[in-house]
Amino acid sequence: MKLLIVEDEVKTANFLKRGLSEAGFLVSVAADGAEGKLLIETGAFDLIVLDIMLPVVDGWHILTWLRSIGLQTPVLILTARDEVADRVRGLELGADDYLVKPFAFSELLARVRTILRRPPVREATTLRVADLEIDVAGHKATRAGQRLDLTAREFTLLSLLARRAGEVLTRTLIAESVWAINFDGDTNVVDVNVRRLRGKVDDPFPRKLLRTVRGVGYVLENPERN
Amino acid sequence: MFSKTPNGTNPRTGVWGGTSLAVLLTAWYTTASFVVVAVATGSLYFVLANNLRQISEQALMDELDVCRALVRERGGDSHALHEEVEIDSAVRRYQKFYVRVLDPNGVALSTTPGMNRDLSSSRIMEEWSRHRGIFWIDSPSGETYRAIVAAVPRDPAGKEVWTVQAAVDLTQEQIILGQQRIWVWTVLTAALIFCPAVGFVIARRGTRPLREVAETARHIGSSTLNERIHAEGYPVEVRVLATAFNAMLERLEESFARLSRFSADIAHELRTPVNNIRGETEVALARARTPEEYIEVLGSCLEESVRLSELVESLLFLARSESPGDHLKRTPEHLGRLLTDLCDYYEATAAEMGVTLAASADPDIVAEVDRALLQRALGNLVSNALAHCSAGSGIWLSAQRDDGRIRFEIRDTGSGISVDALPRVFDRFYRADRARSRDSGGAGLGLAIVKQIVVLHGGDVQIASEPGRGTTVSVVLPGA
Repeated sequence: MKLLIVEDEVKTANFLKRGLSEAGFLVSVAADGAEGKLLIETGAFDLIVLDIMLPVVDGWHILTWLRSIGLQTPVLILTARDEVADRVRGLELGADDYLVKPFAFSELLARVRTILRRPPVREATTLRVADLEIDVAGHKATRAGQRLDLTAREFTLLSLLARRAGEVLTRTLIAESVWAINFDGDTNVVDVNVRRLRGKVDDPFPRKLLRTVRGVGYVLENPERN
Repeated sequence: MFSKTPNGTNPRTGVWGGTSLAVLLTAWYTTASFVVVAVATGSLYFVLANNLRQISEQALMDELDVCRALVRERGGDSHALHEEVEIDSAVRRYQKFYVRVLDPNGVALSTTPGMNRDLSSSRIMEEWSRHRGIFWIDSPSGETYRAIVAAVPRDPAGKEVWTVQAAVDLTQEQIILGQQRIWVWTVLTAALIFCPAVGFVIARRGTRPLREVAETARHIGSSTLNERIHAEGYPVEVRVLATAFNAMLERLEESFARLSRFSADIAHELRTPVNNIRGETEVALARARTPEEYIEVLGSCLEESVRLSELVESLLFLARSESPGDHLKRTPEHLGRLLTDLCDYYEATAAEMGVTLAASADPDIVAEVDRALLQRALGNLVSNALAHCSAGSGIWLSAQRDDGRIRFEIRDTGSGISVDALPRVFDRFYRADRARSRDSGGAGLGLAIVKQIVVLHGGDVQIASEPGRGTTVSVVLPGA
């Protein structure tokens, strides 16, 4: 998967390039709008991460130009401005998503993956991570053959983590997906729930699947595969 | 003088806008007193003129009656007539009185001496034919007379009709009235000069306290907001103004204090995480570390960055929600479900703390609200309640219809909030418990955000608390 990052702030461009490369993407970086246009014309990209405040040619211009020449490459907009009007403008001009700085890198990664995954993959009915098996339709989870006694919310939380196994999920995203809570207010609520889930999924077993990523969130993965 | 803020009611710049109050008062006072003086003197004059005229007319009528009687009853007794017309009338000194009796042929039978000189019979008849009744007539020498002409039948059958002409000299009276008129005009002119002068002095004296208040106000700047206007000894109206002004100063002073506290708090809240990041990184880079140590430092830096991001987000939210305009994305929401969802979210935390958490709502209570914001406001309140609760306490959420409005209540039986802290809990960066660390207390913006969200919804938030017994927060939103 080839990604283009159009970002003039060197540090931001660097950490984006490193992070996305480590996540398995081929990443090119353009330091201003003109260079961005040049790269878009010469190479085929699967996704463009576009900063709005750019020297020479700004992000709005690139986006408009991109759609006017008929390129349907998905665009993820990055900006330090989060006025609702800007957000609407971005989406109206044909951007696929919109992320406000400062953002969690894991959030960006998740959104990039979501965009590239469209159209959605078939929803698996059985999820498997190491010896953990989740029967989504049957609302059953077993580990090493033992049935786990989970509440409805714990089951939803575990399914979310399993469906996106190996991906670090932020507390905000977890609160949003499991409880439809859209505020960052009290994210230690997520910690409490994960701790309780961990008590049932991990504590009785020697191999720990649910890992805390400090300052970011949680990831469910098979530790032996890394 | 004290027009409201631009978006308040318009200052009254009507007809009188820009005119000095003293000038206005003077104008009104002058007009009023001048009208009173004019009406008084004018009416006196007219009453006098009227009375004088009535008296002379009465005399004229009396004389006419006498002559009529003489002609009719004494059959034109020429001697009596002569006596009445030529002698009695002539002897009236202060007022010349003329009578002339004419036979049917217009020949004068008897005439008061001197009448032919002043008023000829033909002139009287001519004037009479023009005016009828009692009329004015001037003599060639310039005297003014009131005159009357009457036909008097000499016999009851009325075959022979004599004519009586009577006139009274009113020159003297006219002179008196003329003097009276001059006096009236003099008084009015004097009033026209005197009233504005007195009025202006009174108005200046009356508005002096206002100027003094203004003078004091002029000296008050942002650094001297603690000054007050001393209105003792001023009239009540000015005292009211001064009191209102002082109250405004009080609010201004409080806002200024709040603002400077706010800036200091922002600086502090920003400085702390930045300092942590800077210091930890600097120390870590000073010499080679083990990977574990690097991970520890990076993790800590990430935590601080997240804290900074959240702070910036909260501040931006507060700043933006204060700018005018509707920032809400309202959708119809089932409020009972909203509360249940919140309970669901906090359930595990509450259970772990040993705190009972329950919600109740009127059935099918639906309102147009911004779901995300209202959830955030109520969530902050629940989270705040949890922070004040310990094992065994309880938190109850409720949503009810209340007189066309919607009332949310978040009641807890936690530790409560002290009386001193209660009025300030909705202030930005205010923490009831100063000792609470940022880890447990956040930046102190939670309740400020709650208030802002409720205000954006056009509602009101109240807090009541009893230390040791618990706290109740009521959020009242306009109706569904």
